[in-house]
Amino acid sequence: MKLKNILSLLRYVFTLFTFMLLSLSLCLGEQERFRRSPPYPEPYPEFSLPTIENHSLTNELDLAVVRRQDSPIISLRLIILTGEGSSPDDFPGLATLTARMLSKGTITLSASDIEERIESIGGNLTVEIFPDYSIFTLSFLEEYLDEALMVLSEMILRPTFPRNEIANVQRTMFYELASQNMDPEFLARRVLFQILFENHPYKKIAFNQGVIKNLSRRNIVSFFSDFYRPNNAKLVLTGNLNLETASRKVSRYLSPWEKKDLPYSLVPPLDPKEKQKVCFISLPKAKDATIYLGNIILPIASPDYFPFVVLNQVIGGTSNSRLFMDLRESKGYAYYAFSEVQFFESCGVFFIRAKVRSEVIGKALPEILKEIETVTKAQIPSQEIEQAKSYLIGNFPFNVDTIDKLSLKISEIQAFDLGVSHWESYQENIMRITSEMVSRMGQKYSLNTPVIMIVGDPEILNNMKEFDEISVYSTDGVLQYTISKGDME
Amino acid sequence: MYSLFLRTVIRKMLLLVLSLSVVMLWLNGAGVQIKRTPFPVSEFTLRNGLRVILSEDYSLPIVSVVIAYNVGSVHEQPGKSGLAHLLENLMFQGSRNVGQMQHISFIQKIGGILNAVTTENRTLFYQTVPSNQLALVLWLESDRMNSLNISASNVEKIKNSLIEELQIRKDTDPYLESYWYFDQLLFPGFTYSHPVLGSISDIREITVDDVINFYSSFYTPNNAVLSIVGNINKNKVQQLVERYFSSIPRGNDLPSLNSEKLENIGNTVQSIVSPLATYPGFYVGYQIASPYSEDHYSLVMTEYILLKGQTSRLYKRLIEKDRTAIYLSGGIENKADYSAFKIYMRINNEIMRERSQKALFSEINKLKTTPIPERELEKSKNIFKVSYLRQYATILDKAIFLSEKLLKRDNLVDWPNELARYLSVTDIDILRAVNKYFTDDRIILDIKIK
Repeated sequence: MKLKNILSLLRYVFTLFTFMLLSLSLCLGEQERFRRSPPYPEPYPEFSLPTIENHSLTNELDLAVVRRQDSPIISLRLIILTGEGSSPDDFPGLATLTARMLSKGTITLSASDIEERIESIGGNLTVEIFPDYSIFTLSFLEEYLDEALMVLSEMILRPTFPRNEIANVQRTMFYELASQNMDPEFLARRVLFQILFENHPYKKIAFNQGVIKNLSRRNIVSFFSDFYRPNNAKLVLTGNLNLETASRKVSRYLSPWEKKDLPYSLVPPLDPKEKQKVCFISLPKAKDATIYLGNIILPIASPDYFPFVVLNQVIGGTSNSRLFMDLRESKGYAYYAFSEVQFFESCGVFFIRAKVRSEVIGKALPEILKEIETVTKAQIPSQEIEQAKSYLIGNFPFNVDTIDKLSLKISEIQAFDLGVSHWESYQENIMRITSEMVSRMGQKYSLNTPVIMIVGDPEILNNMKEFDEISVYSTDGVLQYTISKGDME
Repeated sequence: MYSLFLRTVIRKMLLLVLSLSVVMLWLNGAGVQIKRTPFPVSEFTLRNGLRVILSEDYSLPIVSVVIAYNVGSVHEQPGKSGLAHLLENLMFQGSRNVGQMQHISFIQKIGGILNAVTTENRTLFYQTVPSNQLALVLWLESDRMNSLNISASNVEKIKNSLIEELQIRKDTDPYLESYWYFDQLLFPGFTYSHPVLGSISDIREITVDDVINFYSSFYTPNNAVLSIVGNINKNKVQQLVERYFSSIPRGNDLPSLNSEKLENIGNTVQSIVSPLATYPGFYVGYQIASPYSEDHYSLVMTEYILLKGQTSRLYKRLIEKDRTAIYLSGGIENKADYSAFKIYMRINNEIMRERSQKALFSEINKLKTTPIPERELEKSKNIFKVSYLRQYATILDKAIFLSEKLLKRDNLVDWPNELARYLSVTDIDILRAVNKYFTDDRIILDIKIK
């Protein structure tokens, strides 16, 4: 037998022996070593977001195209750079009503024809109104780009705002809002925003059902004529198409859209509240207490955006964050406790939302305030910051994992003119954040003096006697009366 | 005694050596690539019977892992309803190397998302994480498939939380009881009619032994499909799967499903009072062809013509034109081998009940006698096509879709043709299917309010 053969045989015997040893240990109930502890991760994968290509039509309509060759569905988003913040002060809700009326009839198509045309291309139309802009989203099968643009151009170029359809939409809006008057989260958020945005154009986003009847067809026509202009709009197309084809087709259907100088409007910046304010909305027989508290923070384009996002993550971004771990896992007060940030053009809002057992409101609320105070006073440990960053980076792809979410993200970047680096460097922007940068955020913004909104059964006021003053609001957001400490005792 | 133990150990050991060798040999060939699929898919099976599907998608730096067990409420015995759902919840209570609820925190800390769901015939566990963390997910999933911690205290804890959850649902969902009762009428017999959530009295009676038996019968590699989709290197993933799953012992052959045949429903009209409901309403149901039959394709298209979208026939007629109903929903519901066509309407008051039912049956009769116009059929097909394509819109959707397809048909060879088969349905096919299944054998269950 040659040496090579002997070696090969020995190798075979050795391998078999190793297998047998492994098998023996397994069968005796011992487990493989690798099962005992979690494996180490590999290096974080490289990630590049798709490129945004831009083109401007002669009427100043800006077009952005993001090519996704694997998508059989195209998402078209028309952004009108005017939102509820631009509704006239006397007519809150007008931006919303106007946007919702766009698909309700044109010179050649009835509301029902438009629905039929859209569903025939496998399409779906939604309308969302934000403080700074309104977005019309039309998604459809890729083979029907012409048909989609044709319907869109009809809606933009030749809307008729039929009176019967206005009445229908007004009725729907009224019932939608009225039906939410028993929803404690909805009420708390609406009145919180109403107080935070006091004397600011954004206040109008908190409109209630009572104002809808004040809006007339004349208001709609005038608002449409002022703001629905190509020089006040952006179009985002995401799907299997290129810039050249998209530009040609969009130009064919939308170049007759006439530009016009816009009414002067500048959304002013807004300062945070410097004094804590406690408010209450009575919802008799509500089983639990709903807490919303927050304050005004930085606008979306601020350099503090990324450190603040990390701070929010530490405070209450997920169920592993401080609020949830403290109020639910450790103390058992809350069903949930999270924090959120929302950013707009002229400012942002940081708020905490929690649902707690009614009987512990007197303990839960100070605990939340204590958590805020901690981040404003003590430096957050680096390990916690790294964990928050790891979550944010790992979770980012879920913001763009469908064609609809991807195009929404791009629309936000387009609407706020955030620039390519905000889009392409998300990971780097989060990575560079340090504990010091985050801790500065807590001190810089007035998190310690929030507006506190509590919704629950009036009985829970008995558990809130330590507050000097409580302002009681109706579900419509009207201040009813104020209770001072002496009154309660 | 000792010699018997030793013999058993040696036998197991030899089997394991054999299986490991086969796996090693097999892994040198890189799995079977499925042909003509809209995205790349390959499949292989471990020696212990675990079927594995891999699909590369480099659009995002994430990976989705789905384990689908071929088990659900139809596998429960009378008196033990809720057991499948209970086990799904228990799977988060820890295993030999993973602490209680640690599975969730491991995934969430890295920004991942996870969930689980139990249906009539499936239990799915799924998670999506940054793709560099794939091994972590395989470690977690293999640990709970291999060594779930089923203790009396864990079982008791989950039983209590499920009972509480069920009680809250009953107290707050005004239409829950009527929905369950409708299922009892439409799918007569225990196996297909009892709810996945189970009944409170049954959940109370579930013992630790019941749970252990259920787990060891159904949570086995040969009763599962592992589907991994995303930013992956196929060869590397195969090695990882082999590392974590191949030494988990194969389970016994599965107990066969209760061979309960559905009784014919006849023409049944019943009513039920829903004390919590604000509005009255009614359900109408038909037993239709199984999801595996040829007629299924035409029936799905009928579902789209009648019910899907704001321009569907029933929506247009009852909500927009006649305005006799205020809410409409429904469609085909599959329970393992059986299917039903359900229609549900909410109405403003009792006067509208007869009008709504009359209009509904007149629309169905129209479908029986007049072929659907070409443009309308094309519209319904386009709405359907979008829903079909959206089933695999995200990386996670793909992983769920593939595991479901493999479990449903036992292979992935057929599905590339599936969409085309739906889209080839003709007006005559629909006419024939509606006449065959939308007969007088139907259930009408009226929901009345106090």
